[in-house]
Amino acid sequence: MAHVVLKDLVKTYGSFKAVNEVSLTVNDGEFVALVGPSGCGKTTTLNLVAGLTSVTSGDIFIGDQVVNDLDPKDRDIAMVFQNYALYPQKSVYMNLAFPLQMRKLRKDEIDRKVKDAARVLDMTHLLERKPRELSGGQQQRVALGRALVRDPAVFLMDEPLSNLDAKLRVQMRSEIKRFHQDLKATIIYVTHDQLEAVTMADKMAVMNGGYLQQYDTPAQVFAHPVNMFVASFVGSPAMSLIPLEASTANGNTVLTSAEGWSLALSPRNMRKVESASTRKIVLGARHSTIKLHKSAVPGSVPAKAYTVEPTGDVTFVQAFLSGAIVNISVSPDVAVKPDEQIWLEFDQERVHLFDSETEMALKAE
Amino acid sequence: MSIAAETAPRGQPRRGRRIDGWRWGGRIFLVFMLLYTALPMVWMLSTSIKSGFAAMQFPPQLWPDQPTLAAYQKLLDPQNSVGQDFLRFFWNSLIVSTATTVLSVIVAVPAAYAFSRFRFPGRNFLFFAVLLRNMFPAVIFLVPLFILMRAIGLVNTHGSLVLTYLTFGLPLAIWLLKGFYDNIPVQLEQAARIDGATRFQAFVLIVMPLSTPGIIATAIYSFIGAWNEYIYAYTFLSKNEQLTLPVGIQRFFSENTTDFPGLMAASFMMSVPVVVLFLLLQRYFVRALTEGAVKH
Repeated sequence: MAHVVLKDLVKTYGSFKAVNEVSLTVNDGEFVALVGPSGCGKTTTLNLVAGLTSVTSGDIFIGDQVVNDLDPKDRDIAMVFQNYALYPQKSVYMNLAFPLQMRKLRKDEIDRKVKDAARVLDMTHLLERKPRELSGGQQQRVALGRALVRDPAVFLMDEPLSNLDAKLRVQMRSEIKRFHQDLKATIIYVTHDQLEAVTMADKMAVMNGGYLQQYDTPAQVFAHPVNMFVASFVGSPAMSLIPLEASTANGNTVLTSAEGWSLALSPRNMRKVESASTRKIVLGARHSTIKLHKSAVPGSVPAKAYTVEPTGDVTFVQAFLSGAIVNISVSPDVAVKPDEQIWLEFDQERVHLFDSETEMALKAE
Repeated sequence: MSIAAETAPRGQPRRGRRIDGWRWGGRIFLVFMLLYTALPMVWMLSTSIKSGFAAMQFPPQLWPDQPTLAAYQKLLDPQNSVGQDFLRFFWNSLIVSTATTVLSVIVAVPAAYAFSRFRFPGRNFLFFAVLLRNMFPAVIFLVPLFILMRAIGLVNTHGSLVLTYLTFGLPLAIWLLKGFYDNIPVQLEQAARIDGATRFQAFVLIVMPLSTPGIIATAIYSFIGAWNEYIYAYTFLSKNEQLTLPVGIQRFFSENTTDFPGLMAASFMMSVPVVVLFLLLQRYFVRALTEGAVKH
C-alpha cells in the first residue's frame, strides 16, 4: 500500500480545462471518494492517476515516486471500471490470472492467488464461466477480484456501482467498504453519487468544473460546506438555499425577505453576515434542521406547503419560502396538506450563510 | 412487403388477397432469380463432364448420357501441356491472392485500429482519402496505373497486381475493421494496460482476438477480389507463365476451336477455393457485416 499525492494537477484538452490545479493527499490505507456532477473532472483525475491520460502540468506521486511519465503497468495500481471491462473471450479464471501472467508469475503461484481471490469473493464456482454468463453483480465481483488478486499499491475505482440495480448497489457498497477495512487498502473511488461517497469514504473530494471544491471527511463536508455548490451537492434531499437580504437596525442585523418577513439572527450568525462583502445573503438549511409549525411561533417565518411526500419513516415536505423551495422532513404523524399555510423555524446553530456573489460560506471571524 | 403485411388491418379479406398476390409475386421473382444465378453454374458443371462432341450437340443434353471426367484429368495432369499451364495459372492466382490477402490484413488491422482509437491531425481527411479511390470505377485507373507500373519496372510481375488489388481492397477492409474496433470498449485496453500489458500487448492479447471475425471477413473479401480480378491481370501481364486463372483460362481455351468441357472444368475448379473458403468462414463473414448494426 502507498499514499498518493496530487500536486497542482492540470489537464487541458485544447482550450478546455478538464482538471484545474487539483492538489490533494491520499494517505496510506485511506478511502477517498472523488465526487461531483458529470463533467466535473473526477474521472479525468482518476485517469491521470492511472496513467491512461497524460498530465498537462503538475505532479502525481504514488508512494514517494513521481509517476507522471510511467506507463500504467509500471504504476502498481489496479482499476475497477464502470462497465467492469472484463475480457469477454477469457473465463473468469483467466480474467483473474491475466494481471499475474503479465507479471510473469509462476503457474502454481498464479493458480494459488486466483483461487484465494475467488474464495475471498465467494465465486469459486464461477471460475470456468465466461463474463457474459454472469449477472451484473457477479461481473462486478470478478472486476473487483481482478484488482485485488495482484495486491497493488493503490486501487482506483471508476463508478463501479453505477451499472447495478438499486438493491445490489447497496449490498456491494457495504462489501466494498468491508473490503477496504479488511485490506487496509488505499482506494481512490470516483462517483457521481454523493451518498456513496458519504457512506463509504474516509474523505471526500468534491469537484466541480475541474476545480477541487472541498476535501475533508464526509462529516466535515456535510456540516461545514465551504460554498453553495458543496452545500447543495452533498446531502439528500439537497440543502435548501433561500436568497435573502441583510439589514441592520438598532445594531441588530436581520435577514429580510421580499415577502416582508424578517429573520432574527444569533450573535454569531450576525457576525458572519456582517463580514460579507454584499448585503445579499443566501440562507442554507438542511431538511432535518428546520422545524415545521402549523401556527406562528416566535422566530418562525411563514411559508406555503407545496408537495408532501411520505416515505414511511419520515415525510418530506416541500414548501415555498421567499421564492425558493425548501425541503423539510417531519414525523409521519404530522398532517400537512399541499397549499396549507405553515411556519418554519430555523436552527440558528445549524444554518449556513453564504455570500450570494462569491457563493462562499461566511465565517465568523 | 412484410411491413405492408404486418400493418394491414386484420379482417379485411380484399386487402388480404392483394397482399397475398404481392407475396406470390415476390416468391416467383425469387425463384426466377435463383434459376438465373444457379442455372449457369449447373450448366457449367454438366458441360464439364461431357465429351467434346456431346458439348456441341443440339438439342443439348441437360445431363450427359456418358459422363466423363476426362476434362478434369487433362487439366490436373502435370505431364500434359494443358495441365501444366492450368496448374501454373492456378498457382499464380493462389500466390497473388494470398499475398494480397496477407498484406491487406497486415495493413488494414493497424490502420483501422489507429483510425478508431487515436486522434491525430488530418485523421478525418485521411480516413475519407482512403475512400476516395472507391468513388471511381476501377477501369479509370487502368492506364495511369499501367504507366506507373512501367515506370517503376513492375510490369509483368505479380507485384504489380498485388499492389493494385491492395488499393481496391484496403479501403473497405479498413472501414469494416474500424467499425469493429469502435465497438470494442476502450476500457478493455485500459484494463489490460493497468494489468501490466504494454499498449502493443493490450492490442495483441485483448483487442485482436475480439476482432477475429472482422479480420476473417476482411481476408475473405481481399482474397475473392484478387482471385476473380480480370482486367488488370489482363493488362499488366503478358508472359504466358505469369498469367493468373481468369486471364489464363480465357486465353488458353479460345484460340482455335474452343474445348468447352475443358473450359467449364477449369471454371469450376477456379470457383472451388472461393466457395470452400466462404462456406468455412461464412458465419464470421455475416457477423462482421452485421456487427454494429445492432447495439449489444
